[in-house]
Amino acid sequence: MADEEDYEGGEPDFEEPEPEELEEELENDEAPDAEGGIDVDMREESEQVRDKARKTTKYMTKYERARVLGTRALQISMNAPVMVELEGETDPLEIAMKELRERKIPFTIRRYLPDGSYEDWGVDELIVEDSWRRQVGN
Amino acid sequence: MFFHIILERNLQLHPRYFGPHLRDKLVSKLIHDVEGTCSGRHGFVVAVTAVENIGKGLIRDGTGYVTFPVKYQCVVFRPFKGEILESVVTMVNKMGFFAEAGPVQIFVSNHLIPDDMAFQAGDVPCYETSDGSVRIQKDSEVRLKIVGTRVDATEIFCIGTIKDDFLGLTGDPGGAA
Repeated sequence: MADEEDYEGGEPDFEEPEPEELEEELENDEAPDAEGGIDVDMREESEQVRDKARKTTKYMTKYERARVLGTRALQISMNAPVMVELEGETDPLEIAMKELRERKIPFTIRRYLPDGSYEDWGVDELIVEDSWRRQVGN
Repeated sequence: MFFHIILERNLQLHPRYFGPHLRDKLVSKLIHDVEGTCSGRHGFVVAVTAVENIGKGLIRDGTGYVTFPVKYQCVVFRPFKGEILESVVTMVNKMGFFAEAGPVQIFVSNHLIPDDMAFQAGDVPCYETSDGSVRIQKDSEVRLKIVGTRVDATEIFCIGTIKDDFLGLTGDPGGAA
């Protein structure tokens, strides 16, 4: 019971300092980003926890999933190009779920840690838990 | 004076432009937004010459828009006190005349016009010397010196003088200088 309480108490604490910024990465896909990318990396090095040192969970939290799906569905509803083949789906949220299932959502999640540093995780690297995936429709 | 400087701006992009031409769209939006504007700090943005770097986009919550930090090189025009400019007269009245040097408006008061030139009202108001050899009217080209600038956040206005050596009429309306 106490454990449960701890967990329940701990969760929002963990989530609260996480105004996770979703980063649009579309441009990196086709951009001649050679110098630009390096530049950005060097600038961020001081703040961003480097790849090898990333220590937050490799699972997508349900909050991240909700936010990613919501944001992506909103963009799709505003005529953003869809990153997957459609098979008759018309609901933006359904399309967003399909994109998440196929790991095609072009976002990066910026997880802020309590000390102000952050880790960037691509949506395509994060594991979407089975229990959530059931709701995604798989 | 013209300057070639690097500026930065955050551009909000609608989700419908995401996709393969995102960068092109950002550049055209930048040019559309920025060219022809005036800021008190940098002056008039005349032209965007190159886009240096487009940073990573940041998704704006609730709107689905994405903000991109864009670094670009541009040519700006900023008038300074004491600068000599060539300009075209746009309006003449008894208080003086207005002239334009590109985007900037310059007013030359009749106190700052040589004493031997007098205002002539009539169909085409003008300033004329008594012997009629020099005549400043609408569309005349005038070389003037800026004696004062008023710089607002979004506007620059200048006061000029032609009461000095080598200043004054350089070309008649319609005619070559």
